[in-house]
Amino acid sequence: MPDVVSEIRRPLIGGNKSYGEVTREVCAPLDRKSSAAWWTTLSAALAMLVLGVVAVTYELRTGIGTWGLNNTVGWAFDITNFVFWIGIGHAGTLISAILFLFNQKWRTSVNRSAEAMTLFAVMCAGIFPVIHMGRPWLAHWVIPYPNARGPLWVNFRSPLVWDMFAIGTYFIVSFTFWYVGLIPDLATIRDRATSKIKKALAGFFSFGWDGSNRTWQRYETIYLLLAGLATPLVVSVHTIVSWDFATSLIPGWHTTIFPPYFVAGAVFSGFAMVLTLMLIVRRVLHFEDYITLHHIGAMSKIIIATGGIVALAYATEFFVALYSGNEYERFTFVNRALGPYGWAYWTMVGCNIGVPQLLWLKKIRSNVAAVFVISLLINVGMWFERFVIITISLSRDYLPASWASYSPTTIEIATLIGSFGLFFTLFLLFSRFLPMIAIGEVKGILRYGRSNGKEAGK
Amino acid sequence: MNNRVLGIFLGAGLLLCLTIFLTSYANNVRLPGNNEGYEPVQPIAYSHRLHAGELQLACLHCHSDAGRSRNAGIPTMQTCMDCHKFVTAPILDIRAEDRRAAEAKEKPKRIVSAELHKLYAAMGLDDQLRPEPGAVPRAVGWIRVHELPDFVYFNHGAHVSAGAECQTCHGAIETMERVRQVSDLSMGWCVNCHRGSNATGVQGRAVAAPTDCSGCHF
Amino acid sequence: MNHDHHTGRDSGPAMGFNRRSFLKAAGFTLAGVMVAGCERQKVDKAIPFLVKPEEVIPGTSTWYASTCGGCTAGCGILIKNRDGRPIKIEGNPEHPLSGGGLCATGQAMVLSLYDSHRLQKPALRGKPALWDEIDRAVTGQLEKTRREGKTVRILTSSAPGPTALAAVAKFLTAFPGAKHIRYDPLSASAIADAHQQCYGRRFIPHYRFDRSGVIASFDADFLGTWLSPVEFTRAYRSGRPIDGMTPSMSHHVQIESRMSLSGSNADRRLVARPDEQYRLLLRLTALVDREAGRTPAVPDPGPDPRHEDEMRRLAALLNTARGNSLVVCGANHLPSQLLTAYLNHTLQNTGATVDLDAPSYCRTGSDAAVAELMAELDSGGVGMLIVWDANPAYDWPGDGAFAGSMKKAGMSVICASHEDETSHEATVVLPKAHPMEEWDDAEPVSGIVSVRQPAITPFGDTRSLTDCLHRWTGDTISDLEAIKNWWRAAFFPRRNTAADSFDTFWNDAVYRGFVRVNPAPAPLKPFNTSSLGPCGESGPRGGELVLEFYPTVALLDGRHAHNPWLQELPDPVTKIVWDNYASVSPATAAGNGLHRGDIVHVGLDGASLELPVVIQRGQADGTVAVALGYGKMGTDRFSSVGPEWFEGVRTVEPGELVGKNAGPAREFRDGYLANWRTVREFRGTGSARRLAATQEYDSLRMPAGLAPPDEERRPIIQETTLSAYLASRSAGSFPKPEIHTIWPDEYRFPHHRWAMAIDLSACTGCSACVVGCQAENNIPVVGKDEVYRNREMAWLRIDRYYSGEDGDLSVAYQPMLCQHCEHAPCETVCPVLATVHSDEGLNQQVYNRCVGTRYCSNNCPYKIRRFNWFDYSHGDDMQRLVLNPDVVVRERGIMEKCSFCVQRIQEVKIRAKEGRRPISDGEVKTACEQSCPAQAIVFGDLRDPESRISKMQSGPRMYRVLEETGTAPSIAYMTLVRNRGEEGGADA
Repeated sequence: MPDVVSEIRRPLIGGNKSYGEVTREVCAPLDRKSSAAWWTTLSAALAMLVLGVVAVTYELRTGIGTWGLNNTVGWAFDITNFVFWIGIGHAGTLISAILFLFNQKWRTSVNRSAEAMTLFAVMCAGIFPVIHMGRPWLAHWVIPYPNARGPLWVNFRSPLVWDMFAIGTYFIVSFTFWYVGLIPDLATIRDRATSKIKKALAGFFSFGWDGSNRTWQRYETIYLLLAGLATPLVVSVHTIVSWDFATSLIPGWHTTIFPPYFVAGAVFSGFAMVLTLMLIVRRVLHFEDYITLHHIGAMSKIIIATGGIVALAYATEFFVALYSGNEYERFTFVNRALGPYGWAYWTMVGCNIGVPQLLWLKKIRSNVAAVFVISLLINVGMWFERFVIITISLSRDYLPASWASYSPTTIEIATLIGSFGLFFTLFLLFSRFLPMIAIGEVKGILRYGRSNGKEAGK
Repeated sequence: MNNRVLGIFLGAGLLLCLTIFLTSYANNVRLPGNNEGYEPVQPIAYSHRLHAGELQLACLHCHSDAGRSRNAGIPTMQTCMDCHKFVTAPILDIRAEDRRAAEAKEKPKRIVSAELHKLYAAMGLDDQLRPEPGAVPRAVGWIRVHELPDFVYFNHGAHVSAGAECQTCHGAIETMERVRQVSDLSMGWCVNCHRGSNATGVQGRAVAAPTDCSGCHF
Repeated sequence: MNHDHHTGRDSGPAMGFNRRSFLKAAGFTLAGVMVAGCERQKVDKAIPFLVKPEEVIPGTSTWYASTCGGCTAGCGILIKNRDGRPIKIEGNPEHPLSGGGLCATGQAMVLSLYDSHRLQKPALRGKPALWDEIDRAVTGQLEKTRREGKTVRILTSSAPGPTALAAVAKFLTAFPGAKHIRYDPLSASAIADAHQQCYGRRFIPHYRFDRSGVIASFDADFLGTWLSPVEFTRAYRSGRPIDGMTPSMSHHVQIESRMSLSGSNADRRLVARPDEQYRLLLRLTALVDREAGRTPAVPDPGPDPRHEDEMRRLAALLNTARGNSLVVCGANHLPSQLLTAYLNHTLQNTGATVDLDAPSYCRTGSDAAVAELMAELDSGGVGMLIVWDANPAYDWPGDGAFAGSMKKAGMSVICASHEDETSHEATVVLPKAHPMEEWDDAEPVSGIVSVRQPAITPFGDTRSLTDCLHRWTGDTISDLEAIKNWWRAAFFPRRNTAADSFDTFWNDAVYRGFVRVNPAPAPLKPFNTSSLGPCGESGPRGGELVLEFYPTVALLDGRHAHNPWLQELPDPVTKIVWDNYASVSPATAAGNGLHRGDIVHVGLDGASLELPVVIQRGQADGTVAVALGYGKMGTDRFSSVGPEWFEGVRTVEPGELVGKNAGPAREFRDGYLANWRTVREFRGTGSARRLAATQEYDSLRMPAGLAPPDEERRPIIQETTLSAYLASRSAGSFPKPEIHTIWPDEYRFPHHRWAMAIDLSACTGCSACVVGCQAENNIPVVGKDEVYRNREMAWLRIDRYYSGEDGDLSVAYQPMLCQHCEHAPCETVCPVLATVHSDEGLNQQVYNRCVGTRYCSNNCPYKIRRFNWFDYSHGDDMQRLVLNPDVVVRERGIMEKCSFCVQRIQEVKIRAKEGRRPISDGEVKTACEQSCPAQAIVFGDLRDPESRISKMQSGPRMYRVLEETGTAPSIAYMTLVRNRGEEGGADA
């Protein structure tokens, strides 16, 4: 690249593009007919989704008994999936809010999809607390509303109620944040639109954006405010989710380090999932210039960092258990590693602590395929982390007489698959109908690390 | 441009008004399971106004289990017959017949009102109260007016012996031609009465009306 | 029938279901949609009586005193009758034998009443017939029999009461040479015969465990199934007053091969193969005689190295405890029983712990007589065979042996409750009424006569034995009259009450359910030692495997195989449901390379069994134990039990029976139904069967390598020995944990504070409470697959823990139910306040508020909460009549659990309020407390310092399970004390 001015400030966007090119390239997927590849992946995703819908319908009609749960293990796949998806939903807000506040310019090319991913993940997560209820048709009882029962309120001491609020807030704010960010690009779509309907729709949803300085200024203000608003949520949501367990008295659940532990884990898994998706998008939609090795590297580093925290948490858990002198606590942790579910534990450790260490090597960080595989493994590991915490702890608690083992049924597995189906379906639709990269913001950093002066590509 | 924004705001505003408009009617809107005002037509047009009101029959005269059982008890057909062996029609009709008979210089005919005819039929008797050949006595199937869900345990005995008036829940039954559910029988309605009675006592006597869930749900 | 019950929640689940589904719909619509107008979704009718019976008050319960018909022990019961139908059976607290307790089978009898598979109509040659036709056919055949000079035989169980026996006797006189044979599949024939030889009269003495300081039991499961378990349990318990002024306990030594309920409760347990036990008995007799300075009355077989010490110890103990020791023997083996009788005689126990004057009539059967009968049948000399309440084709040795002989009778008349193996082959089949459907009487022990009165009009077109026999001999008299007549003749003269007229005598009996009269005078010859004389076979079978047969606490001889409550009642020891199995010791299993569930082939002379293996700790090596009472005809009905979904497994495959029938594999040896026989072949078949148990992990000891050495055993059960306890009352107690809680603890309970105490020393694990709870609280039967998936619904489970080595294995039972914690973990986590604390200390579960997150159950350290994984069925329309109208039937998706029988608390509270009086101590009894024969459970109000519960909860043995978690349970457990018989401990 001829016009690079600084060695330390490498351009964030490759290929010395002009503003026009950026618009064109990013909007390309919206203009051209959807590819065969897109159709095949979509149909695959839909198939998974349908499977899930069938499974859930059957469960709702027949009873929770169609899951492998029992008197001792009351939660397993259901809540595991829930926590897993909430975790995935973390990277989005982190990238858009925190990195924005820290002025990390490279975020611009990934934040849009990351935020979208967040929304979809939270949707998937939101399903489970509802369907895991014995009587989901009464789910609204978890919401405090005036009623003819005396009135009878909800139990504000119950973490499940806090969950309801936390996740609700998180979804609303994330959505607003994502949507506000979309407005300028919607305007772009509107302006480029050829068909009337498309123009009208994009026009309506872009809130009459006119690109004037005033609009831009307002936009930046609100974006900044939202970023500030969203930041605490990054911490709060998973903290509160972790309280579901931390406030209980089951050995292995009753742990004070859960909040930071869960948040770190969430960011960890979130970034893994962002990587997974970005690497696909980058390839399929030819965004190599926008999502450069630099981005991948940056995210890999975050993964190493959060992965480290997670590893520390695992160690701490064990230490505290042994140091506590509480025999139930001690047993639970030894049982995790050496008990009948040891395999799950070691899968977790392998994927979450072992695998990420590879990312220390620049060679691997810059090898797209390798990073892709690693990110996948981390997702697997993080799912097992939740399984280990929830299921193994329950299966052997206080009274040996009530110990019980657990194994999932077809329905549970199908439900898990279905949640992935929903996630990918939504993401594919998003990739087809909205710009995957924040055009406006990318343009803002197009000249980053380049000599100012002549407009490139003229 | 800006008119779009305007449009959006207008839309939102409209929605808001609509909700307010609806909720203002909330008192006419009833939740499922609330049968307040339910007033079914009964197989026999039995009048509480007449019996409990005019004739001053005590409630427990017919609903004799109300003081000692969960169920107030629907009076047995026999209980009705105790009186209606003799009372076969409204007094006015009988007087009229007597007058007519007096004028016509003949023995007054026995008059049986249509409703009581149903009662006798149920007992398998003819209008002369002779067993009807081949008639099978079959109790009348009254339509339930006050009905609580299965998961609510209500005990009449406890309330009556505590001194609660029948009217407190059933309303001014002695004025009703046909029985009507006057209270919504919602949990809030029960609980608030319990709270009130614990504070004020019932008929000057302190009571311990349960406000625990297991007072009614088990 | 009463109709008023349509006006209450009594309306039965059929209606309840509609209501529930309606509520579901309502729930859905509630989300925004509102319905205007006041149309009722469902119109209900309220149908009054035409004319109301005097004693019936709709919506309230009436209690009738009666006698249990679950087995022949004749315990006194009270039948709770609601709106014309019995809904619960409870022990009669005044009854001299059972004293308020009732066993699991007794509790479950109420469900059998509503069994739609019971025979309803008589049948003649397989076709439904009218009683007239039956009578004509029978009387005709009787005539024919008389003409042809053939004989008449009546075969019954020991069930027929005095009046029925009188009727039988009268009937027999009409036919020369006619005979009445009594047959008990769980035979005590040898005991009776032994006393015949020793005392010149055939009877079974009335054993008095309450008076016994030292109890030596040779394979007699007297706490489980032997003779009269409820009475014995109660007596056994009252012989162990640990909390008395001077704590004392009887010393119970059990010599047995399999792990029986009694064995698991014994203070000392000797493991000996059934074929060794006779020698041990001989040895013991010899030692006792020597101790007493007599020359042994029997040949001394010499010491058996493994048990010699124990035998010497026992002999010494028995001698020191002369007059208040007791030796019992379960073996149906004459020589053993002769020795037992001799021991009790020589130890001067007769008249004290062994009552000969008022003998027991609960098992009067004679095996030899049955064998004789079969010979007669085969010879074709029997013109008429009447079988009543017996099923020899099912449980007599030899597959189809009895059925074969029976066909040779001129005519066979079978009276049975269900179509069974015997009635299947009969000419005439008569429907047997349920014990709660007819007038009857019983005399379980001489001098204790009890009435059995009908609590409901019979469902079927049934007749009692008495009635049949009367009609066939030409006189028609109602059962009630017959009974009164006989009582006037037989018992009124023997009365020891002040009753001057028979009517007062009779009315009192009906009111109480029983009456005490002076036992029939029974002259006995002095003990005839010579009868001991040359003793029969004795030699142990050496290396060979022996197969032992035993009855289970639930099904007994199989008479309860049609009762789903009992089929799903976990075996007290193995905790397995819905199956019988070949139980072997770990060593034997290892020796044959067997694992739990492997199906083994047990080859015997002329018979064989194929059963899944269960590895049972504490069982004698080289023995295989199989339960009787399974594989009964008609149990394939249970293939429909439990939820149906695509991964669900049926309880039994259609056409498959529940378990295997071991009856035909038994051996008729030396004139007795031997309770063991030698195995010829024992091998795995390669296939396996999954067994469903309610407990997966057996011990308080943690799995190897998962816990540091000092923490291998979990502090859940406090145990100690009597001698240690005498030394220090706090023996065995766990260190009191100091609880740091953030909860304010100043709550004053304004009205009551309900709490419970469970004495682990008293609890025998008999599981009566489990069924009692099931009956009281409408707990559904969920089927084998659900139990296999750890989804049993029982609110009260009995945890069973092994400790110690297989040599001397000790067992501890711990009833585990909702602890009603003051700081209940479940309450803080429920999002919708469906489980909250009451101001009387109850942990309330509000079904209709529950949304089913299961968070409460996860957070419960005792794991006693039960979730409705499916819409569990409560049986067919008829079985649903047993539902308790005061307790909601829970729909799917709801959490449920022990409520401390809150419906009973409420009932008593209302009664007290109506009477403007306080509730007296013990007035509220939970279902489990009520049914417990050992009175191990005490429930009451802690606010009353004088109440039993207050005293117990402040006693020295009191501790709370998992107290260190800070849950502050309302249930206190009492340390389990065992009288190991060390110095000072043994003498009771």
